[in-house]
Amino acid sequence: MTCKLIAEQVDDFLDGELAETERLAVETHVTSCASCEALVVEARKLRDMLRDYGESTTPTMDTAFFDKSIARAAHEGTKRQRSKWIMTGFGGAVAAATALWIVSSVFLTTPDIIEPTIPSVTMTLEQPRTLNLVFASAVALENATMTVLLPEGVEVAGFAGQREITWMTSLDEGRNILPLTLIATSPVGGEILATLRHEDDDKTFRLQVSII
Amino acid sequence: MNPVDKHQQASFDVLIRPHLERLYRLSFRLAGNKHEAEDLFQDVLTKIFPRMNELHQLEEPGSWLCRVLYNHFIDNRRRYARQRLVAVSEEHLPGKSLEELPGKLDPVVDAERLDNIMRLDAALAALSEEHRLVVLLHDSEGYKLLEIQEITGTPVGTLKSRLHRARARLREILSADGTEHGA
Repeated sequence: MTCKLIAEQVDDFLDGELAETERLAVETHVTSCASCEALVVEARKLRDMLRDYGESTTPTMDTAFFDKSIARAAHEGTKRQRSKWIMTGFGGAVAAATALWIVSSVFLTTPDIIEPTIPSVTMTLEQPRTLNLVFASAVALENATMTVLLPEGVEVAGFAGQREITWMTSLDEGRNILPLTLIATSPVGGEILATLRHEDDDKTFRLQVSII
Repeated sequence: MNPVDKHQQASFDVLIRPHLERLYRLSFRLAGNKHEAEDLFQDVLTKIFPRMNELHQLEEPGSWLCRVLYNHFIDNRRRYARQRLVAVSEEHLPGKSLEELPGKLDPVVDAERLDNIMRLDAALAALSEEHRLVVLLHDSEGYKLLEIQEITGTPVGTLKSRLHRARARLREILSADGTEHGA
């Protein structure tokens, strides 16, 4: 074992990452070499200093600071969230292969037609599943309202315990996608209603959910 | 309609609060001072809020949050003016006055700690940004190399090599100014 090798291995030695034979070789060398012993002492001292530096130089933030940060993130983030729904297009990141797509067959601004069947989906308890609602609009719409009504035992991820979620949104001309990640929390199931309203016009999606 | 859904805010609070202290510390290490760390921290929380669904589904949200914060810092580093990875200047040290140094009562020990912090701060400032980052995250903040790889995308082998060189350079600098033998 040479002093050069000790210099290369001092970190691994202190990190406990050397094999037993290597560790013993370093220890043996260090006990008989004053400069390498000093190196190990310096390396150990540096670690203590860096640890103390970490503890001493970061300002301690109190609960009030975090409360305020969360409130501000919710306020500012809500604006971004509203625009997020309309910025997502086909081929976007939400188009996960396993996602269920529910596509509107009519434009929001034209008279509705009766859907021949209500689509259905089977979910597994506690297994998230993404549902992409596709709304087509003939024109760009501002200040629309989206309301999602959930049956018992089905939640939107991030909105635990809420059966009705409403938010403001706006739509681009053409197709707009709303990705909803659902989680089944009890084996009840039922119908999900997602209604998009703009002034006197509205469009409702219905989806039958069975849970296994 | 209320512009902020209070239920959403409450859900976000539950998801994010366990990670706030770690995120703030990382912000501080990246931005380098309290003011810019607060800006970075707030910007990232605001960016994450609309991605609550994504956050909710993660098995290890802590790593994901740190990665989002790091990427946001890298993409917007010009906005965080000083661009130092840490190296706190004297006026920003919470321990500027000896009474504020936590945990010790012996004035001699406190004086030595403050002196070490100042010297280490100066030595860290002499390192390259990538070397400073890895040594601070690993040795000061206690991140494992695998976690740093997860956050920065830099392979563990490269990080280990940087860490080794950063420590060697720090020892060199501190040894030259006599700090190493001061205790």
